[in-house]
Amino acid sequence: MTLDWNVVWQYRADLAHGVLLTIALTVATMAIAVPGGIVVMLMRQSHVRAVSWAGTVFVEFFRNVPLILLVYWAFYVLPILADVQFSAFATGLVAMCLNVSAYNAETFRAGVNSIRKGQLEAAMAMGMSRSQAMRKVILPQATRRILPVLASTWVSLFKDTSLVSVIAVGELAHTALQIRSQTFRVLEMLTAMAAIYWALGYPQAKLVDWIHRKYGVTE
Amino acid sequence: MDFDFSPIFDNWGFLAQGLWITIELSVATMVAATLVGIALGLGRIYGPAWLRVPLTFYVDSMRAIPVLVVLVWTFFAFPLLTGITLPPFWAALAALTLHIAAFVSEILRAGLASIRPGQVRAARALGMSGAQIVRKILFPQAVVRMLPAYGSLLSVTIKDTAIASVIAVPELMRQSETISAQTFRPIEVFTTAMLVYFLILFPVTRAVEAFYRRVAHLGRS
Amino acid sequence: MASALTSRRKNADQPPVVLYDKVVKRFGALTVLNGVSAQVNKGEVVCLIGPSGSGKSTLLRCTNALEIADGGRVVFEGQPLPKTEAELRHVRRRMGMVFQNFELFPHMTALENVACGPITILGTDPAEARAKAQALLEKVGLGAKAGNHPSALSGGQQQRVAIARALAMDPDVMLFDEPTSALDPETIGEVLNVMKRLAEEGMTMVVVTHEMSFARRVANWVLVFDEGRVIEEGSPVQIFDAPTHARTQSFLSHLGWNG
Repeated sequence: MTLDWNVVWQYRADLAHGVLLTIALTVATMAIAVPGGIVVMLMRQSHVRAVSWAGTVFVEFFRNVPLILLVYWAFYVLPILADVQFSAFATGLVAMCLNVSAYNAETFRAGVNSIRKGQLEAAMAMGMSRSQAMRKVILPQATRRILPVLASTWVSLFKDTSLVSVIAVGELAHTALQIRSQTFRVLEMLTAMAAIYWALGYPQAKLVDWIHRKYGVTE
Repeated sequence: MDFDFSPIFDNWGFLAQGLWITIELSVATMVAATLVGIALGLGRIYGPAWLRVPLTFYVDSMRAIPVLVVLVWTFFAFPLLTGITLPPFWAALAALTLHIAAFVSEILRAGLASIRPGQVRAARALGMSGAQIVRKILFPQAVVRMLPAYGSLLSVTIKDTAIASVIAVPELMRQSETISAQTFRPIEVFTTAMLVYFLILFPVTRAVEAFYRRVAHLGRS
Repeated sequence: MASALTSRRKNADQPPVVLYDKVVKRFGALTVLNGVSAQVNKGEVVCLIGPSGSGKSTLLRCTNALEIADGGRVVFEGQPLPKTEAELRHVRRRMGMVFQNFELFPHMTALENVACGPITILGTDPAEARAKAQALLEKVGLGAKAGNHPSALSGGQQQRVAIARALAMDPDVMLFDEPTSALDPETIGEVLNVMKRLAEEGMTMVVVTHEMSFARRVANWVLVFDEGRVIEEGSPVQIFDAPTHARTQSFLSHLGWNG
């Protein structure tokens, strides 16, 4: 079996483009899913029964279905639902945002709830309103606990972008698989794909470890 | 916009087979990954340096590479490298096990590290040997502390089996794709598939949480 | 209790700052407060003593509506406690509370902790609030620690900052919920001294405490709790030297109190 690693170099521009798209998808998803997660978390805290129930259903549903299935489902449903042709990228983005928003909502909720009740009481005993207490006392502390979890979610998200390759979004996985099909250089391309993901993901994983060490809270 | 769910009823046997494969693959992966992961974890904590370094590298690599990539590499590239062809199910089992075992070892490591050092000192003061301490004091507490993370790993495994569809493992996702392509009813078929996965995963998550709440006090020191 | 006794209380001729009128509080099936009636006069230091679980802390928390009474009324400065959260907030500004666990805000320095009430709630000019906060910290002996975070302070220091934080709002009454129970023995004294000075300056104080010597020396009036009721009340001399109720006697003797 002859190996031709040159193929990786030959197609470096396409692979680079795939990497860029992977990064773009990750950034775009997080940019939408952080506010999205906050919205859903607030919905769950609402006093209106229907709203809080909707928030809970959202979180439980999108955390408990496989993302790859959600991607496929979005691909078929969105054009019909919105009566508009979505690009594959947009479809993938929608599916990922739904998924990650649900995880973020749970992260934010756990972060806020982890702050001792006494802190809220001390703020209210002074005469602060609930929203003042949240802004000045609870949220600044919760942010410290939420950050490490959000960092882990980011790394998972980065890896999950590979799943939108199944609907032909030109991110790294899809690009590498396409090149494999065209050149029949299976071992080289698949190994290169793994290596590129490794090169991108390994430092991110280490950064997350650092964030956990720096901001981790032990009671 | 008309919905026709009859293809699902017509092909429910086919889909049920897929569901069975999903369950089989999930359970087999969890069992294998737990065994491999524990061995890995113990090797990383108690093993000699020449073992710890490559094991750490392996675990960190699995955190960096997507499951899809591992699956595809195991099915397509591994045979080229070694001449051994793995049938889809076994390739998926191998790939998923490799991937999940890394996380099991991390959970084990975190679980053991979270036990207060005072526990070890107390056991040593009683006169227990190192091995006894690990077996009787550390491991039981670590198991309880690991439960929440382990439970969520079970959930992740079930979801990851759906990715095995890309290497043609006939699990639920793959079977759904087939039916959807045959009957041109993707919305109905995939919506049903999503509901089925939800109906499996939601109780699993809840059951793990409930079980943990019952036994959590056993791990609190 | 005999009106002759109560009329000898401090400022008895003026309306009480806090009046408890048959206050009832239940948690599920458990009745924690079973019709408590008492009053706190202006400038008085009233100590609530009694076994754990007898309802002392619950009554204190009903005072500033951290718990809402199920029956009876709490009357503050002549007005029953309002029902809406917005009105309650305004009432809480006139009460200061000090917690057993200090509950300083860990992400703020001591100075910021003390100043945050006036800045956030009263809308005080930040520079003015910080100057006042510095003065209050000096008053409790911690002027040099103004820039420290709570994590750098000992328990006793944190509690003194907490007292300064409550004082920053200029309250009409200070509520202390077992302020020294979570402290090392060496640091209890520094907190009690601050509280004693506050009392000497004429602050109205309601203190739930296990520190009997503090109650004996500083309190003007003592309420003895047991199982959700006030079983005995009187001046410290009378309660500690000549308790009449059997439960009071056994409680005090269990604490190793022999006068």
